[in-house]
Amino acid sequence: MRRGLCFRDAGAVDGTPPRGEFTGIVRANQALCREHYRLTLEVVGFPPSTPGQFIEILSLPGGGSTEKRRPTPASSAGPGDETARPREWQWTAAAPPRFTDPDLIAQRPYLRRPFSIAQRRDARGQQSDSAAVTQLDIMYRVVGKTTRVLEQLRPGAMVSLLGPLGRGFIIPPSLRLALLVGGGVGIPPMLYLAEQLALRGIPAVAFAGAQRADLFPLILPPGAPRPLDRPVASRSVLEFARHGISSIVATDDGSLGMHGFVTVALRAYLEREKEINGDSTTVFCCGPMPMMKATAAIAAMRKLPCQVSLEQPMACGMGTCQSCVIKYQPAGEPEWGYRLACADGPVFQAADIIWP
Amino acid sequence: MNNIAAPPPTGEPDLSVRLGNMLLANPVMTASGTCGYADEYADFTDLSQLGAFVTKAISKTPRKGNESYRVIETRAGLLNAIGLANIGLARFLKEKIPLLEKMGVPVIVNVPGWQIEDYADVAERLDHESPVVRGIELNVSCPNVKSGLSFGTDAVRLAQLVAAVRRRVSRCTLIVKLSPNVTDIAVTARAAVEAGADCLSLVNTFTAMVVDIEKGRPWLANGVGGLSGPAIKPIAVYMVHRVYSQVARKHQIPLIGMGGIQSWSDAVEFLLAGATAVAVGTALFIDPAIPLKICEGLREYLTRKEKKNVIEIIGALAMPEEGRAGGNS
Ligand SMILES: Cc1cc2nc3c(=O)[nH]c(=O)nc-3n(C[C@H](O)[C@H](O)[C@H](O)COP(=O)(O)OP(=O)(O)OC[C@H]3O[C@@H](n4cnc5c(N)ncnc54)[C@H](O)[C@@H]3O)c2cc1C
Ligand SMILES: Cc1cc2nc3c(=O)[nH]c(=O)nc-3n(C[C@H](O)[C@H](O)[C@H](O)COP(=O)(O)O)c2cc1C
Ligand code: FES
Repeated sequence: MRRGLCFRDAGAVDGTPPRGEFTGIVRANQALCREHYRLTLEVVGFPPSTPGQFIEILSLPGGGSTEKRRPTPASSAGPGDETARPREWQWTAAAPPRFTDPDLIAQRPYLRRPFSIAQRRDARGQQSDSAAVTQLDIMYRVVGKTTRVLEQLRPGAMVSLLGPLGRGFIIPPSLRLALLVGGGVGIPPMLYLAEQLALRGIPAVAFAGAQRADLFPLILPPGAPRPLDRPVASRSVLEFARHGISSIVATDDGSLGMHGFVTVALRAYLEREKEINGDSTTVFCCGPMPMMKATAAIAAMRKLPCQVSLEQPMACGMGTCQSCVIKYQPAGEPEWGYRLACADGPVFQAADIIWP
Repeated sequence: MNNIAAPPPTGEPDLSVRLGNMLLANPVMTASGTCGYADEYADFTDLSQLGAFVTKAISKTPRKGNESYRVIETRAGLLNAIGLANIGLARFLKEKIPLLEKMGVPVIVNVPGWQIEDYADVAERLDHESPVVRGIELNVSCPNVKSGLSFGTDAVRLAQLVAAVRRRVSRCTLIVKLSPNVTDIAVTARAAVEAGADCLSLVNTFTAMVVDIEKGRPWLANGVGGLSGPAIKPIAVYMVHRVYSQVARKHQIPLIGMGGIQSWSDAVEFLLAGATAVAVGTALFIDPAIPLKICEGLREYLTRKEKKNVIEIIGALAMPEEGRAGGNS
C-alpha cells in the first residue's frame, strides 16, 4: 500500500517519521502477576519510536491464531478463570455485579485499544530503533473485552497494530537525574524510558507502585536488597536494576514495599534528597489520573519539571476523532483549550494540564 | 485539475460517479468527523485514492466541544458526543486548505450551525475563497449539540435553511446531510430538495445512550451521543432506499449513503438501495485503508456481475411491490 503518498510527495509532512498499520506476530505472552501479562510482538518495518509512544492494537477472539488454544496459565487465576467468577444469578454483596461477568464480557471488541510500548529490540534481543524486524513488548492488565482476547494469544497468533502513535517523553539535554514514577499499567512506558536513559548514561531513580503485591508486574529477585519499606532506592527491581537504576516500590495496602501510593514514596524520597533541583532533574510519570495529579503537585512544590503521560478513552488514536481530550493551559495562555491525548500527547508538561 | 477523473485501465469497470458538479473517480468517500482535516490521517492511507474527502465540521468560530468522556464503544458500534469541536473557519482556511489542495481529490466541507446565518456565512466564504472546496455539506442533523437537532428534524425550518444557503452558494455542490432521528426521513429529504439541495447525504448518527451501571449515570459527559457503526447499517440502508424511491429518483438528486459501512459488500448494499456514492466513518478507526479496499472489492463485484459502470447498479434493487417495504414484522 502506498501510505500517505500524496502529502509526503508534496513535502507537506515535516519529517514526521512514517507511521502506519502493521501485523504483529505473537512471540511470547508471559504472565507477570495476577491479571498482568507481557506480550512480545514481532513486527517487520516498524518505524523508530520514543518512550511514551503507544500502539493501537486490534485483536479479535480467535483471530489469526496459528496454534491451538491452551488453557490460561494457573498463575493468572482470577479474570482468566471464568469458572471462578459468580454467574449473574449468583451476585451477592461480597461479589457485586461488575463488568467482568463472563456473560457480558463475552462481547467482541469493536475498536482498537491503546497500549504503551514497554520495550523494543531487534531480532537478536539488542536495543534497536531501526531493525528490519522489531520485537515490541507491551505490558497489559486484563480489564475488559480486548485485554481478555490478548490474554488468550499464543505464539504464532497475529494482531493488527497502528503505530507508533503520539508524542513521547522528551529527554532534556540538561538532564542529569530522571525520576521515573510509574503506577500500575503506567509502569510499561517507564521501562522503555529507563532503557533509553541508560543508553545515554543518564542516572535515574524509579518509583513503581501497584495496588497490592500480587498486582505488582515487575520482578523482585530473591537476592534483591531488603527491606523495601523505606524511601531508600535500591537495586531491588530487576527490570530497572538491569539498566543500573535503583527503585523504590510502594503498594496501596502495604503488602509490598512502602505503604501507600507511589507518590508517598516520591515525597519521602525528595524530603531526604534536599539537593535535587529542577536545573538538572526531571520527573517522568505515568499512571492513574489521581496519581499523576499528585505527582505533578509534588514536582511543582520542589520546582522540578514534570512530564506526564495521560490516559483518555480513545476511539482512533490517530488524532482524527477528537475523543481523547485533555484540558490544557500553559503559563501565559489567557484561556484553556482542549488538546488530544493521542496526537498532542499522551506526554504533556504537567504544569500545562488543568487536572480534573 | 481535481475534477477530471482518470479513465480506468481498459477492461476494468468504470467507478466514476457525478455528485452535483463534482466528478468523483470512485464512489467511496470519507464521512465527516472521522478523518479530521486529512493531515492527521495522511500517514495511514493513500488519500489520493479516495473518491472525495469530507472534513470534520467547520463552524464560523472555533468550538471547544463537550467535556470528556466523549466516546464509548457499544456491541457493534460507537457512541460519540464530540460536540462539534473544531478549529473554526479562519484557522481552517489558513492552516488546512493548503494541505487539502495537495490531495488531488474533491474536498467537501461539513458545515454545522445553530442559526441560519452560521451556515450561510461559512458556506458563502468557502464558496468564494477556496477553489479546492468543491462541495458544502450542511450538518443539520448533529444530535450532540442541543439546538442542533432542530433543523434536521423540522421540515419547515430545514427548507428555510437550505433556501437561505442556496442563495449564497453558487459554485459548490450543496449537500444536505439528513438526520435519521425523524419519523419519516422522506419528509425532510423532500423539503431539502425542494429548497434547492443538489445532493443529500444520509445518515448521520442516531441519538442514543450508554449507561455506566457502576456510577448510575450516562457514560458520556454529554449524557446522550450519536450512534454509528455496524449497529445502524440496516436502518441506514432502509433510509437511503426510502429517500431514493420517494424523493431522489424523481428529482434526479444523487445520494451519499453512509452508516456502518465496513466492506465492499456493505457499500454495494447502499448503492443498490439508491446511493450514488458511499462514505465510510467509524470503520476508519479500525482500518484507515478501508475506502481503498472497498474500491477493489467493488471493481471485482462489478466485473463478476458483468457491469461496465458502477452507475448501472445504483438504485437497481429489485423491490417487492412498493408499499410493502413499510409493513414488516
Ligand atoms: C496512551 C495509552 C496507553 C496505555 N497503555 C497501557 C498499557 O501499557 N498497558 C495497559 O494494560 N493498559 C494501557 N492503557 C489502557 C488500555 O488502553 C485499556 O486498559 C484498554 O483499552 C482496555 O480495553 P479492554 O477492551 O480490555 O476493556 P474495555 O472492554 O474497553 O473496558 C474498559 C473498562 O471500562 C469498563 N466498562 C466498560 N463498559 C462499561 C459500562 N457500561 N459501565 C461501567 N464500566 C464499563 C470495563 O469494566 C473496564 O474496566 C493505555 C491507555 C492509553 C490511552
Ligand atoms: C467521532 C465522530 C465524529 C463525527 N463528527 C461529525 C461531524 O462533525 N459532522 C457530521 O456531519 N457528522 C459527523 N459524524 C457522523 C459521521 O459522519 C457519519 O454520518 C456517521 O458516523 C455514520 O457513519 P459510520 O457508521 O460509517 O460512522 C461523526 C461521527 C463520529 C463517529
Ligand atoms: S483518539 Fe481520536 S483524536 Fe485522539
